Amino acid sequence: MSSCRNTYGVDGKALKRALASAIGQFSQHVEVINEMNVFPVPDGDTGINMYHTLQRAYSEISDLDDSDIAEVSRRFAYGALMGARGNSGTILSQLLKGFAEELQSTKALDTPHLALACKRAAQFAYDAVTSPVEGTILTVAREATETLELHADEGLALSEALDILVRAAQASLRRTPELLPILKESGVVDSGALGLASFLEGLAPGDGKFDRPEKAEAPVAARPGVSMGSSGDASYGYDVQFLMLGKDLNIAQIRQDLEQAGWSLLVVGDDSTVKVHIHVDNPALPIDYAVQSGAILDDIVIENMELQFRRRPGQETSSAAAPKHQAAEAYGVIAVAPGDGLRAVFEDLGCEAVIRGGQGRNPSVEDFLVAIDSVSASKVFILPNNRNIIMTARQAAESADERRVDVLPTTSVVQGISALIALRSFEDSGEDSGGDLDSAIREMRAAAQQVCSIEITRASRDSRLGGLAIGCGDFLAIGDGQILVAGATIEAAVRDALAKALKAEHELVTLYYGDSIQEREAKDLIERLSFTYSELEFDLVFGGQDLYPYLIGLE
Amino acid sequence: MTFKGIQVAADSVCDLPVEIVRDLDIRIIPTYVNIGDQSIADDGRGLDRQAFYRQLPSMRVQPTTSAPSPGEAEAFYQKMLNDGAEKIVSIHVPDRLSGVLNTMRLGARAVDAERITLVDSLQLTFGIGLQVWAAAELAVAGASLDDILEAIERVRQHTEVYAIIDTMQYLQRSGRVNSLVAGIGTLLKIKPIVRVADGDINSLARSRTWSGAEAKLKALTLDQAPLDRLAILHIDNRLGAERFLDSIGEIAPQETHIIEVCPTLGAHIGPGSIGVATLKQDWRN
Repeated sequence: MSSCRNTYGVDGKALKRALASAIGQFSQHVEVINEMNVFPVPDGDTGINMYHTLQRAYSEISDLDDSDIAEVSRRFAYGALMGARGNSGTILSQLLKGFAEELQSTKALDTPHLALACKRAAQFAYDAVTSPVEGTILTVAREATETLELHADEGLALSEALDILVRAAQASLRRTPELLPILKESGVVDSGALGLASFLEGLAPGDGKFDRPEKAEAPVAARPGVSMGSSGDASYGYDVQFLMLGKDLNIAQIRQDLEQAGWSLLVVGDDSTVKVHIHVDNPALPIDYAVQSGAILDDIVIENMELQFRRRPGQETSSAAAPKHQAAEAYGVIAVAPGDGLRAVFEDLGCEAVIRGGQGRNPSVEDFLVAIDSVSASKVFILPNNRNIIMTARQAAESADERRVDVLPTTSVVQGISALIALRSFEDSGEDSGGDLDSAIREMRAAAQQVCSIEITRASRDSRLGGLAIGCGDFLAIGDGQILVAGATIEAAVRDALAKALKAEHELVTLYYGDSIQEREAKDLIERLSFTYSELEFDLVFGGQDLYPYLIGLE
Repeated sequence: MTFKGIQVAADSVCDLPVEIVRDLDIRIIPTYVNIGDQSIADDGRGLDRQAFYRQLPSMRVQPTTSAPSPGEAEAFYQKMLNDGAEKIVSIHVPDRLSGVLNTMRLGARAVDAERITLVDSLQLTFGIGLQVWAAAELAVAGASLDDILEAIERVRQHTEVYAIIDTMQYLQRSGRVNSLVAGIGTLLKIKPIVRVADGDINSLARSRTWSGAEAKLKALTLDQAPLDRLAILHIDNRLGAERFLDSIGEIAPQETHIIEVCPTLGAHIGPGSIGVATLKQDWRN
């Protein structure tokens, strides 16, 4: 046992202990690594894939009581190779394989050997990938190794060398967004790179693992900190990140102190700069703690993970869709929409400009001209989405450039959305290569006419219309400019309108709920309606429009 | 050990029916479906497809999928060589969408890269299967490596894979085809009709209703006639697949299969979808 206390040469048992502890620590980071996803949603799997790879690797040495470092590293690498999962797991397995091969003729690991083994590891990893991408786990492996090599001949203790390796890996990790634009756009570091840095950090001697002759804990036991389920919880909480700057910062202490404040805790850095990343219900807690500690805070980022999750579509559209829409840029679309949710729907479908407006708030010719000006496409369609706005839109089209701007006379938001989807579908088909304007317009008009549009609103006075007695405050269902039904409650109006307007060929009912309706309320309504109409599909979408609790599309 | 000439191999994403695999001695390496802590080989045995797809919508955490490990790939090839294969043609799910080819490459390199030809099918599900099927038939008939590779290329050029994505929800979460997802939009329920080609999935049309989508799929399928081979694909929607087959009955060739897509792929697409994989008669010319 005593041989492993020598920090200048580590044997197989010490290596096993360090690996066990590193895997145990890695398990604490699994979720954070999973979430280091280009999309801010809890669906990444890099962390869990790397963790499984490491667990499988460890299973090969868990019963091994051998001081032969060649044997321990060889079997660990073999296990990783067999258990490799995902791209990061596979690269990790290659790193471990390269590392082990270098140690095959060794009895004890020292600093020069560590440098050689890391170099071999990085080479293996690069070699394993057909077209290596920088800004990933590969870069971190290579750059950390390069830094270590610079110091390999300085007679450093192994613990010091590992420390250099870890710091270099962390520095390299922070640079990954500079090398890989998609990371920068999404405001994350590379997940596989983070995985490797976390693993190395677990090996590092900051906690004295290589020097501490305790019995190794099985890494499996450290799992409870990770809960796969928490990402599916109703509350997403807040994602809090900040830097603590100061002197003699104690990472282990900070980690321990913050452990209770939240989940998915990640504390990395050195004694002068510490990065904290934690998910909490109350973002004040970790920040308060950091301020109290006397450290200077920098780069504080607090994000509401639930809102982030909900906002996701718009973000994707703006970044990832760009190349697709370039090809179809012949058409620009301007739509009029009366609420934030509806604006988002139009934007989500690639609408270049959305003018706020609708019943009771008609945009001006100038509003349209400004919008037309803002669109770069050579051909522009306007979707006025209201009977009373069509004229204004036409006027604007005339004063801008009639040949460039076409007005589709859509009389409701529901029609406008159908027309826009038809345009996108037409573009997808590739039949549009010659800029076949007439066909595009035909498709859009047909789609707008096919969908049946119903608007639910509230009567502002007593009246009698088309044989219907309407009381002030009654809910009205308007379809095609006609009052279809009147009811005392929203649900009654919706139900009666559906009963009246639904035809055999209808399959889908889309409800856009307005700003006066709670999401819960709308969901309950949909649930009850789907009992009545079990053969129909329902789609509930936040519209955010005022005056109209629901806009309904039947198709 | 018997001398066997060229052995054809593939991964389980090729969705070939077991009878074809057995009759033509095709070797299949399974990919994995990871549910929570469990990693299950998608080999048609370990994972009950029907149960998996029934449970998929209610799973709190979407399953992920993964390639075989390099070690498994190595063992997979070693076994074939041990069994007497002189050369191996190994046809796989596209590099662009999966890590399978990479691990197979590592496995091949560890065994004998010279004797193993890796093929990126640039296709999915039975679109891969059609290539594997033709390759295996030729291999059994004693064709040369060049002839087999040339046939694979011809099959690929005469194959179309189209599908209706019933809900974008699974593709959105899977993160494997972000450009498709971003292009379709995520706020409304839209059923894109997609085409698999060149190792990627692209939208050909968008419909908000099933019947609209099905009409488009039918038109696309009829355009491919006359057909040599056809598979109607589905994910937990056998009835929908059968109904669709009825609607295009007049062009269905003798070799028509109804195939439930493997969970490795299905986990990313979700239940309800149907599709087709077609091979034009011309490919034999």
